[in-house]
Amino acid sequence: MSSDGNRSDAGGWCCPPMDLMRSEPMQLVQVIIPVESSRVAVSYLGDLGLLQFKDLNKDKTPFQRTYANQIKRCGEMARRLRFFKDQMAKAGISSSTLPDVVETPSDFDDLEVKLGELEAELTEINANNEKLQITYNELLEYILVLRKAGEFFFTAQNSAVTHQKIEEHRTADGSIETPLLAQDMLNDSKQINLGFVSGLVPKGKSIAFERILFRATRGNMFLKQSSIEDLVTNPVSGEKVAKNVFVVFYSGERAKAKILKICEVFGANLYPFTEDLEKQKKMSEEISGKIKELKITIDLGLARRDKLLKNISYQFEQWNNLARKEKAVYHTLNMFSYDVTKKCLVAEGWSPIFASAQIKNVLLKAKVDSNSQIGSIFQVLTTKESPPTYFQTNKFTTAFQDIVDAYGVAKYQEANPGVYTIITFPFLFAVMFGDWGHGICLLIATLYFVLKENKLSTQKLGDITEMIFGGRYVILMMALSSIYTGFIYNEFFSVPFEIFGKSAYACADVSCSDATTQGLVKVRPTYPFGVDPEWHGSRTELPFLNSLKMKLSILLGVAQMNLGIMMSYFNGSFFKNSLNIWYQFVPQMIFLNSLFGYLSLLIIMKWCTGSKADLYHIMIYMFLSPTDDLDENQLFNGQKSLQLVLLSLALISVPWMLFPKPLLLKKQHEERHQGQAYAMLQTTDSNTIQIEQDQTFNDHEEFEFSEIFVHQLIHTIEFVLGAVSNTASYLRLWALSLAHSELSSVFYEKVLILAWGYNNYAILAIGFIVFLCATIGVLLVMETLSAFLHALRLHWVEFQNKFYEGDGYKFAPFSFVSIPNEED
Amino acid sequence: MGFFVTSLIFLLVGVIAAIFVRLCCNRGPSTNLLHLTLVITAIICCWMMWAIVYLAQLKPLIVPILNEGD
Repeated sequence: MSSDGNRSDAGGWCCPPMDLMRSEPMQLVQVIIPVESSRVAVSYLGDLGLLQFKDLNKDKTPFQRTYANQIKRCGEMARRLRFFKDQMAKAGISSSTLPDVVETPSDFDDLEVKLGELEAELTEINANNEKLQITYNELLEYILVLRKAGEFFFTAQNSAVTHQKIEEHRTADGSIETPLLAQDMLNDSKQINLGFVSGLVPKGKSIAFERILFRATRGNMFLKQSSIEDLVTNPVSGEKVAKNVFVVFYSGERAKAKILKICEVFGANLYPFTEDLEKQKKMSEEISGKIKELKITIDLGLARRDKLLKNISYQFEQWNNLARKEKAVYHTLNMFSYDVTKKCLVAEGWSPIFASAQIKNVLLKAKVDSNSQIGSIFQVLTTKESPPTYFQTNKFTTAFQDIVDAYGVAKYQEANPGVYTIITFPFLFAVMFGDWGHGICLLIATLYFVLKENKLSTQKLGDITEMIFGGRYVILMMALSSIYTGFIYNEFFSVPFEIFGKSAYACADVSCSDATTQGLVKVRPTYPFGVDPEWHGSRTELPFLNSLKMKLSILLGVAQMNLGIMMSYFNGSFFKNSLNIWYQFVPQMIFLNSLFGYLSLLIIMKWCTGSKADLYHIMIYMFLSPTDDLDENQLFNGQKSLQLVLLSLALISVPWMLFPKPLLLKKQHEERHQGQAYAMLQTTDSNTIQIEQDQTFNDHEEFEFSEIFVHQLIHTIEFVLGAVSNTASYLRLWALSLAHSELSSVFYEKVLILAWGYNNYAILAIGFIVFLCATIGVLLVMETLSAFLHALRLHWVEFQNKFYEGDGYKFAPFSFVSIPNEED
Repeated sequence: MGFFVTSLIFLLVGVIAAIFVRLCCNRGPSTNLLHLTLVITAIICCWMMWAIVYLAQLKPLIVPILNEGD
């Protein structure tokens, strides 16, 4: 809210500056660039990547903008490059960069011309190749027709000859059964009426073909078909189809016309055929020769195209980058406002203050490189707008900052929870995951990604692998923390070890007679590091560990929440907001610590003294009947009076959080208003300027008391109720830790040990494989994700709602690195 | 080993880690402060966890009761 007390842009000095704690100070800059050096200047600024331009032409459509034409040209170039890419993919050539191709990136116009030429050449080659291919396929079909039809005629002729011989032996007259052909061959005069066409028809349509021919010619036709075993390439479409060779005999011109039309409809290709054997042979030879020639020509054509594509492929990446860069440059230039009279472009943008020198250098370089007479002007503007948030992160801290940003980008210069998240997030994960065997597995897995990061960062990885690769340092920290907490919980795939010395517990006497009834006795000092190994597998393991882990969760939770409230103090002191410090930070600290800080103290005291006091009872009756005697629940002297004091502190801190701040804000606002009312009477120059400033200030800030009060009420209720609910929420640390150790122990005992008990190698092998799969699937993948999620929630909600506003916007500079590759 | 001795060891480890980090990556005052903060946070987290588990076992109210057949 903008009326939160005084807000000055320069931060207060409560603490020395720390990297990453607050976002970089930003300034609104205005750059005036002469037109002739504008393209080069923007290109260099894109390389620098530290300036976020504001769109000064928001109300113009894309077509009204200055450089719409250039963008169209860039689009055309991009289309050509996509075409090349398709062609290369079809030909199976991948774009590689030949190391010794030194051709420097050419000018924009040169590139455009070159791409146009290459496209024309490529399309021409493709068209020619296609034509040749069609002819080639037709010739192949023709050869088939010649062969098969030749067989018909040959067999028909033979059978005609044999029939004739039989007929001659039988009768002297002609009979109906004499084949037509034989008569044709003998009787020349009848040859005029009979004709035939030969060709190829797709096998699937052959039956319909025959039927329709029969019907169309009223049965006055003779069709002979024979199928071809291999698939034939259809000349026009280029796909392989099963076809039949057919010969159809007809008589008369009308029948011929009908048959030709039907052939066209069915997509049957017709080829001329002669009955003469000699001519057939000659045709076959001719066509075979033609086929060979065509094949050579086609191969040459393809080789030429491949060479062209290979030449393109060497420079494809370069050209692609150049085209994308130019398009981005022109889009950016479109955002500038064009001053026609002075022939220059005016650009406004946000940039970090530390980058001023670099930007000025870049502009100077652009002036020199573009041979411009005039240099660019760089000036800083003052504004009341909220600047974008910019954190300078390296490869390690980027992932953690992304985790914080996923919930909300920090407001300009507010305290960044990311600083502490780097350590506390893996730590809370590890509290829920604690097993040093599993931690080592995670470590090995993530070390692979970390050690090979140079190679993997250039490759294109799948979605999930990309996510894991991006978070490799987070997972590395998580693994290291898990190993530590694994040693503390003393679990190695749920098996405890006595690494740090002897266990503290032993049998009460030598015979160990009541080990199963009364239990062991503490004979040595406490196990020095972690949970005593004797606990594992005992009957009282769960009651002990549950109590330990619940109290651990509460203590860690109270610590983290206190850190969160401290961060709000840092914010208050940085923004010089004393209202927030005195009427929010202080009562919040008092409330949380007088209740849950006191609980933490009780927990520690109970552990240190070994008292049997019931902490639930103490806390509940502190509220219900604070004046009653404590009896056996007394942990230290003066506990009753301390509890009364803490209770009253907690009770007064609630109205302390609620009432003063809105009332004081109202008073501050009235003071400003009063000043303005008095200034109206005086008319000296300095005061009129004062009035203008106040008016502009007040124009932005309307003061609604009810709104402010309700906001504060919500904040107070959220904090008070949240104190209880957030503290309880930390118990998830206990819950997930219990789940993890129980699952781990079940897999170990009920799978591995069970398999071991059979004394059979096969069963042992199967058992081991089941154990491995269960461990990897359930514990290493599912539990990791689960603990990750819950640790994330604890940070986002319980830690950050104590201080984080997170309503800023991220700094998105114009940078060539961040341009997405649209083709992918 | 005792509570205070081990706490002292944690403190020493923290100091050594801070010095080590300062020696190996000395990059300007604000970055150094960040590194120092991270080391301090890590040591405090580790110490808290150890201390809590140690204190819980100092004067136990329940003892391990073994299962039959152990």
